[in-house]
Amino acid sequence: MRVGRLVELEADGPERLPELCEKLLANPLIEDFEIQSIDA
Amino acid sequence: MKWAVLQFPGSCDERDAVRACERSDGEARLHWHEDRDLGDADAVVVPGGFSYGDYLRAGAIARFSPAMEAVAEFAAAGGPVLGICNGFQVLCEADLLPGALLRNESLRFLCRQVELIEVDGPKSQPGVDKSAHRPLSIPVKHGEGRYWAPEEMLDALEANGQVAYRYAPGQNPNGSARDIAGVTNEAGNVLGLMPHPEHAVDPLEGSTDGLRVFERMARLARIPA
Repeated sequence: MRVGRLVELEADGPERLPELCEKLLANPLIEDFEIQSIDA
Repeated sequence: MKWAVLQFPGSCDERDAVRACERSDGEARLHWHEDRDLGDADAVVVPGGFSYGDYLRAGAIARFSPAMEAVAEFAAAGGPVLGICNGFQVLCEADLLPGALLRNESLRFLCRQVELIEVDGPKSQPGVDKSAHRPLSIPVKHGEGRYWAPEEMLDALEANGQVAYRYAPGQNPNGSARDIAGVTNEAGNVLGLMPHPEHAVDPLEGSTDGLRVFERMARLARIPA
């Protein structure tokens, strides 16, 4: 069993999210990520 | 010889690192992470501890500090940089060193003496860096010290002489790939290791083998740019 990480963010726009994930929220060498948007 | 030892919120081994640098050679000072000017430092140490409480991932936040921007430039220009434990994690997160540090295989925080082997490679200087093949006795103190990289990267590191230290046979405390305890960058001026050489510089600590790691960095600093 492995415990991952769930990050919920409020953002004004989705444009910078991939960069945010690549550089900060995930370490691409050992983690992958998926962005799911929840429409208000 | 002038050493700059970085200090982040949550660093805890920076003062022992200052002491170890000075026991090795020269003067050392603490350098607050918000300061972008390394001044006249000949070598930089990124110390152990829990910068930012290992929030998100160990080293993931500290890598964005202004001081780390300066360290990246310093390293690119060939300056010697030593990352110890959390410092190793910060350097990997900052892409100044290859690979990543994962949670210990046992899932437990470990604090104990281990034996390390200095690894000779294509860049080792005979009679200087080439080890006497006596293991070094140095403590580890970490919960996320398991070194990992993809197989192709590990092959490249070994071929290029970038594996600097391995845990001696039977001494791997955390499941690190290929018993790797420390690595360098391609150019060989940035070194990261999980064990704590700064805690092995005084006979009262049971070992002075840690001084060899600082002496290695001091030798790099003496090479003309």
